[in-house]
Formats: sequence, structure tokens, C-alpha cells
Amino acid sequence: MRGTDVTAGTDTTATTGTTEGAGTTRTTPPAGTTVPARPTAAAPGDTAAPHPRRRHWRAGVLRGGIELRHLLRNPKELSGHLVNVVVALVLAGYLSDKVPGTQVPMAHLTLSGFAAYLLFQIGLVNLPQILVTEREEGALLRLRATPGGIPAYLVAKSLLVVAMAFGTLVLLLGTAALLVDGPLPHGPGGWLTLLWVSVLGLLAVVPLGAAIGAVLPNPREALALIMLPVMTLLITSGAMFPLSALPEMVQKIASVFPLKWMAQGLRSALLPDAARAAEPAGSWELPTVALILTAWAVLGFLLAIPLLRRAARRESGSRLAERHRKASLSGGRGV
Amino acid sequence: MTTTDHQPADQAVTTPAPTGSPAPQPVIRVRDLRMSYGGAHVLHGIDLDIHRGEIVALLGPNGAGKTTTVEILEGFRQRSAGEVAVLGTDPARGDDAWRARIGLVLQSWRDHRRWQVAELLTHFATYYPQPRDPAELLALVGLTEQARQQVDRLSGGQRRRLDVALAIVGRPELLFLDEPTTGFDPEARRDFHDLVERLARDEGVTILLTTHDLAEAERLADRIAMLVNGRIRAHGTPSELARRAAAQAEVRWTAPDGTARRERTEDPSQLVWELHQETGGPVADLEVRRPTLEDTYLHMVHRDAGDGTGTTDASEAGASDGEKRAA
Repeated sequence: MRGTDVTAGTDTTATTGTTEGAGTTRTTPPAGTTVPARPTAAAPGDTAAPHPRRRHWRAGVLRGGIELRHLLRNPKELSGHLVNVVVALVLAGYLSDKVPGTQVPMAHLTLSGFAAYLLFQIGLVNLPQILVTEREEGALLRLRATPGGIPAYLVAKSLLVVAMAFGTLVLLLGTAALLVDGPLPHGPGGWLTLLWVSVLGLLAVVPLGAAIGAVLPNPREALALIMLPVMTLLITSGAMFPLSALPEMVQKIASVFPLKWMAQGLRSALLPDAARAAEPAGSWELPTVALILTAWAVLGFLLAIPLLRRAARRESGSRLAERHRKASLSGGRGV
Repeated sequence: MTTTDHQPADQAVTTPAPTGSPAPQPVIRVRDLRMSYGGAHVLHGIDLDIHRGEIVALLGPNGAGKTTTVEILEGFRQRSAGEVAVLGTDPARGDDAWRARIGLVLQSWRDHRRWQVAELLTHFATYYPQPRDPAELLALVGLTEQARQQVDRLSGGQRRRLDVALAIVGRPELLFLDEPTTGFDPEARRDFHDLVERLARDEGVTILLTTHDLAEAERLADRIAMLVNGRIRAHGTPSELARRAAAQAEVRWTAPDGTARRERTEDPSQLVWELHQETGGPVADLEVRRPTLEDTYLHMVHRDAGDGTGTTDASEAGASDGEKRAA
């Protein structure tokens, strides 16, 4: 039953696809390319094809939608995401004390921190894992061999990440507000802060995650390599409890990384102003939040573009086969 | 540019276009292709022409350089030296418009496992300017019944046929098949061979197939290029290669004193005639064995395993072509 509606869906997209294509932009092949006459089989229909770039965007958007649907229909993977939300809710339900020096419930601070951490995790754990897995299976190679495949892949992955982030935030904050009296932004200013901190936070971690996904060896090692630093940052960034409880040295190191600032920015959006008292600086430091997250975003893009390009360029059938051979060897030894 | 500057010397090592088809420009044209990694030379000057509508098999043992050659042609690897034109374009500079004219089937693909068969094919159709109809294509590769099945539940043969469908959904003019039937059972292999033949015959797709399976090459290919230790050692239609092999037939018999004898000869008929005259009657256990293509192949592979740097290959390849033209 799962299958029926999916195919029905793709069938419709296919039909709309071709009719759209036949009616819209009329273009000749890009200037400068020497395209000899196509074989006769391909000739009818030569009249109107959508512009290549448009076609690639469209393919990317369609791909993002399909990937999201697969995620939502995969109970195993979906539960991996949901379990985080459940843990946050349970934790928030048990916390009954206040943030030291304020009347703000500790649960609100923890839920804000969880929201930041989940964005962080989507960018730096989920995304690299997806990239490494798809690299290893050959999806990246297939897209490289397909005209416009790599741009479409990037579009699809961006959409998927945004959808995952948005879905997670809505689910976490929504269920928390309903079930455990969780925090919600106060007034339009608070919503606006929530929006820009989330967007900037994603921009800070997603390119970085893409860069990591482009260099990590294989899905099995990848998870181990990623989780240790991520967990360390989770503990040291003040996302779960006030940063001031940690040694100053640890605070300084943690404040280099984006998670601390994402959490701080989300606290400013979700907690009342009085909660500032618990911040090490005594204020939300929003300009610093913006600055540091932007710096990470720039760094991430600078790293991700050449690394992704390199990863795509290095894909070939023999390298893929070699990785599979190694994987089966190590798998055999492990078992 | 690549077609106009034909040097006379090239003619000696490349085959003429199949008779009757005016092919001014080969689909694949390779001249003196060389590849080395660090100090190790993998390809020692490959020359190859493939014309429209041909099925050419690149045959050779593992490590002969087949994959390297094909990956250079596919634009996935930079060559060290030499001249390569695929559909008139240097693959190292192939753009999307060029990519759209090429299809690829690799044995190591196991991607998009969670997608459904029809969903995946329909999706990949959106990347191309004039895609085939996905439903028709599923029928062509015999996967109509599996249309709604998840990709990772397909059998090995079905998966590879889906890879073919994905490779030809954009109506490519050239299809690369990389050891496509490795690990197939005989029935799956036969189905796959039928499919490849249909593609070449009905759709006019040019196909470059790499394989280490001689029977596969013989079954499918219009021409076979045997690649051993980074050189093309022989080059021609399966029957031409077999005829070349027949130059040295083996004659076995039992001598009157009871010992088993064998002799290699260019002219088995003459030898047998002489034997009859010597014995003055029937020759015991007489057997004339014309080597098969397989013998030629194994002979080349083994001879090459001994010394890597024969200079005979160029003249050999030339000779095979000379024969062909003479015929």
C-alpha cells in the first residue's frame, strides 16, 4: 500500500514535466557547443526543451521532495530524528528548578539548548552521514555522469536540510509548548530572532557538514569520527545547562565553535529578558552571535566548495569498486 | 579538429568503418593514449577507433588497463598523454551537453536503494532534454512488473537492467558498459546480452563494453580489442581474431611406437598428409586442433606476463589490420 501512491505521484510529475517542458522556454543548444545532429531516434521533440539550468533546478527541487518523502516514510530513520525530540521533552518534564538567579524554568533553557543542538546535529551529523553514504553507494557518481546532476543534488540536499531543520524545530517547540509548558518567543521581535538565529546557525553548520561529508572515508568510520567532537561540544557549549557552571578555560574553547552561539541566540529568542542574568556576559551578545555564526558560514563555504568539487571529481567506477572491496573486507573481518 | 588531421600512420592501427556506413567521424577516437601513476605506466599508447552503431569489446585480464582506459573516455580520469575524442569532444573538457549524449553502466553501482524503480527512472528522465518515456523503457529492459518495487529488492540482473534503463533514458548516442554481467547467473546473462544487442540493433546506440569474459565479447561485439598490460595486442572482429589464431594449429597423433606426439604448424593439412605418407595408412589418434579465440587470448596474456616490453605488438596489430584489408 505504501507503493501505490508513490508511483501514482511520480507518474503525475512525469506527465506534468513533459508538458511543461514542451510549452515553456524555447532554446537552442548553448552557443559554442558543437552538437552534431542527434540520431534520428532523438529528433522529434527537438523543437522545445526547457533551458538546461531551469531543468536542473527543477530536477533538484523534485529530488529534494522525493528524498524528504523517503525520509518521512522510513520508520527507522524517522525515529532516529524523533528520539531526540522525545528525549528533550522527557528531560524538560523532569526539570523543575529554576535557572540560577532568575525565575526562568530550567526546562526552558534546556529546550532552547536542544533546539540549537538539533540544528547543529542536522548540519554536522546527519548531513555528512547522508553525503558519505551516497558517495559510497555511487549516487554522487551517477549524478556526476548525469547532465546537471551535481547542481540538482546540491539543490535537493539544501531543501532536505531546511525541511529537516524546520520540521524538527516546529516539532520540538510545538510539542514542548503543548505538553511541558515549553518556551515560545515573546512577541514579533522574539520570532524574528528565532528565525535569523536558526537560518544563520544552519548556514554556519551546513556547509561545514558538507565539507566533512566530502572528506570522511565511509559511513561506518564517519559516525565515530563525528560523534565524539559533537558530543564534547554539546556538553561544553552551555546548551544543556548554564555555561557559567563550567571552568573558564572550557568556556573559552567552546565559544570558538558555533553551537554555543546558536544556543545563546535561541535562548535570547525563547527566554524572557530576565534570563540574561544567567549568561556569562550578562547579556545575549546578539551582535557577537551574528558575527561568529557568519564567520563559520563563510569558513564553511570556503571549505565546502573545493572539497565537494574534489569529491565529485574523484568519483569513478574503479574507486567506487575499491571502496566496496575494502568495506566488504573490513566487514568480513569484523563479523 | 580531431578528425581532420588524420596521419597516414594512424591508418595502420585503426580499423576502417564498417562497410556501407559513411562514418566521417568516429564516435570514439583514441591516439597514443598513455597513462602513468607516479612512475608506473599503465597504458602504453592505445589507439582505438569506434564507429557509430558498433559494439566494441575491450577485452583483457584484470589489471590490463581496461578500467583506466574507459574512465579516461568517460571523462572521470585525466590522461597523461595522447589524443582522445569522444563524440568529437575531449572528455577532459566534456560539459553537460556532452554528458547528455553518453550513458554509463558500472558494475559497482548500488545507489538510490530506497527509491522505487519507476520513481527513479522518472526522476532521471527530468535531467535530459528529450528523455524516453519511462514506462516504455521499463518494458524494454523487462522491469515493468518491478516498477513499484524498491531498488534494493531487485536481483543482481534486474538491478543491472535498471542501470541500463537509467543510462539510456536520455537517449545517449554512446553507451559504456563496465563488466556488466559480473556475478550473473547464465539466464540473467543471456537476458542482458539480448538487451544489449537490441539496443545496438534497434536504437543504433554505439556501445563500448569492457569485460574479461571472452564468451561475452565474442557473443556481443562487432569488434574486439584485446588489452594486455596496457597495450592493445590484437584488434579485429571475433572471426578475424580466430582466423589469426588459426595460423598455428596443433596436430596430435600417436606414433607407431605408441608415443603421443604433438606439433604446432601453420599448415596442418600438409603435416597430416606427410604423416599419412610416413605411416602408409591411417594415423592413430589423429587430431587437428585449430586454436580458439580463447587460446589466442590466453596465449597473449601469458606471453605478456613473461615480458612486459615486447616491441612486436605494433607490427602484430598492423599485421592483423593488413590481413583484414587484404581480405
